[in-house]
Amino acid sequence: MSSKQQTANSKNSFKLVLGWLYPRQMSTYGDRGNVLTIWQRCRWRGIEVEVKEIDLKEKINPAEIDFYFFGGGQDQAQKIVSSDLQRYKKDDLRKAARLGAVFFAICGGYQLLGHYYRPALGDELTGLGLLDVVTVAGNQRMIGNIVVELNEKLKLNKENLLVGFENHSGRTYIGKRAAALGKVVVGYGNNGEDRTEGAYQGNVFGCYLHGPILPKNPNFTDFLIEKALFRRFGKIQLTKLDNDLEDKAHEVAIERARESR
Amino acid sequence: MKGVDARLFSAISAAKLLKLTIKALGGGGTAAPGLLAEYIDPSALRKLAKYYQGSVIVTGTNGKTTTSRLLGNILSVGKISFIHNRAGSNLLRGLVGTLIDNFTFTQKDKNLALLEVDEATLPAATSATNPKIIIFNNLFRDQLDRYGEVDKIRSIWQKAILHLDSSTALVLNSDDHSVAHLASSSRSRAIYFGIEDKNLSLGQLPHASDFTSCIACEGELRFDEVYLSHLGKYRCASCGLVRPKPDVAAEQIFLQEEKGFMAKIRTPKGLLELKVGLPGLYNVYNALAAVSAALALGIGLPVIKKGVEGSLAAFGRTEKISLEDNKNLFIALVKNPAGFNEILRTLFSKKEQKWVLIAINDLIADGRDVSWLWDVDFEVLAGKTKKLWISGIRAADMALRIKYSGINLDTAVEENIEAAIEKAIEKMPVGETLYVLPTYTVMLALKKILAAKGASEQFWED
Repeated sequence: MSSKQQTANSKNSFKLVLGWLYPRQMSTYGDRGNVLTIWQRCRWRGIEVEVKEIDLKEKINPAEIDFYFFGGGQDQAQKIVSSDLQRYKKDDLRKAARLGAVFFAICGGYQLLGHYYRPALGDELTGLGLLDVVTVAGNQRMIGNIVVELNEKLKLNKENLLVGFENHSGRTYIGKRAAALGKVVVGYGNNGEDRTEGAYQGNVFGCYLHGPILPKNPNFTDFLIEKALFRRFGKIQLTKLDNDLEDKAHEVAIERARESR
Repeated sequence: MKGVDARLFSAISAAKLLKLTIKALGGGGTAAPGLLAEYIDPSALRKLAKYYQGSVIVTGTNGKTTTSRLLGNILSVGKISFIHNRAGSNLLRGLVGTLIDNFTFTQKDKNLALLEVDEATLPAATSATNPKIIIFNNLFRDQLDRYGEVDKIRSIWQKAILHLDSSTALVLNSDDHSVAHLASSSRSRAIYFGIEDKNLSLGQLPHASDFTSCIACEGELRFDEVYLSHLGKYRCASCGLVRPKPDVAAEQIFLQEEKGFMAKIRTPKGLLELKVGLPGLYNVYNALAAVSAALALGIGLPVIKKGVEGSLAAFGRTEKISLEDNKNLFIALVKNPAGFNEILRTLFSKKEQKWVLIAINDLIADGRDVSWLWDVDFEVLAGKTKKLWISGIRAADMALRIKYSGINLDTAVEENIEAAIEKAIEKMPVGETLYVLPTYTVMLALKKILAAKGASEQFWED
């Protein structure tokens, strides 16, 4: 690839390798919709996508994967996954992050990208530390529709609201090296206190939004896809897609959030 | 009646009075009387239960209503007097309301209380009503916005049955790893039901599977057969935990699409051959649960057979309604990925194309989180619909799910359910059937719309 600015279409042979972390343990609440969305929005543009499911006990080749998706899971699953990460994947995932791979994690996955999750009872779950956040168990579950205004430093030009559904009791607090993904407009967010939601640090992103988040927030999805293609192909202008249905679902979700809170 | 204490007396009287008032003002069934009674006397359920001959409790994510109806029909055929709560009144206030409705100050005989109980209400219902039998049907992800997590439900169930003794029988689905092992923490008797027909095995775990690791050691489960979601014949490779052998087992099953099923069932009392007008594998499980509970109550096989075979579907749980112009509606409630997948599998296993309407609301009774739509395998609809109508408050989310499934269907979106149903029926040729798959509150709305149209009311009683 010689020129820096290119257009993605069927003539170019762009390819994205998507690593789906623990699809069996960490995929409640329709999180697989996110994988489907990345895959389809690439495919519709002629970008080939290879989805690699990364299971328990498997090792990772950090040079190979461009985009890691990490969904949410239940307490028991999260415990199993936390120890598997430490034992089989920690070093390679850290290396992948240094090589510029994009990480996008939801809920339980988000918590495990941080330093630790401290439950009310039992041992602390160690995270990967790719995000400077920590999570502690809370006694109130934060459940409901949520609307977030994206951090303006991310410079997404069009849409700046994220919509989704949160459902967590963990309270996440952001440290100095990470920034909030956005500001809560309606809902609880990271901890129900500081009005922040999600976090990012370099190319590592995490948040509490199910829904799933990516189908209903197409501009954010494309932003992540562009970032993921960058390390192999440089800056790419993605072709426009018809987003009517996506925008409609986005609007309905905002309406429902305003009505139900 | 002797022995009604003052507080319970006022709770009952106030609830009954409130109910009369609501009725006089033209209101329908509501939870208010039960709620009021509970407020006046917080131990109302425990005290009321003493006027009944113990309870039979039915709980689980899917099939509570149908299993209760099947068992109720068996009891009726067997001339065992019982009372039961209406579909949807399965929280504490609903149970209190039901026991009050059926309570008279002059009653002599004690009835059996057949109670459909919400998953999270099980502990309260168990400790208050002296259960003879508790049926645990299954545990799937469902309305996670209400309960948080499936793991949590399992652990509150486990605690709820700790102090039961052998006077209670637990009727457990041996194929559901998450309920089959509940008996280990209780001194109650256990009766297992399950499917043993390899021809129905799916081969691999579908995505909407909730329990894939061992509850005892957290090792990964191996499935020799998978029948539905995470239900099947499993074993744990690390600690050796296995599926309990079912006492009541469906050994040969013939699914006849939406018409129902036939099954040969092995029971401790001999072979039971059933022909049931309720479709789908999930209804095989419901029938097995009802049969097992009836056996535990000492009811004979001929009565069980007559009771199960004579059962009709509850409103919205898979039934056909005739409309004008020789057109039909087939309604099947959808509420979670496991149930939705089974309905798709039942309706769309043949080549024939159908007229379909899917309607998704996100009110509290539907589950406010519509994420679950993405755990349903809509991809099986490819080439199977003549036209797909999409409706409900969250029609856009549903339409988006279909868009990203990558299958090419002729779809139309109409948020308003009344308009959607009108159009869908109108556009459909004479003699055809519209397959309507609504969430709970859409189903209630449909009931009203159809009643206003004067469509058959034979299913409406509850």
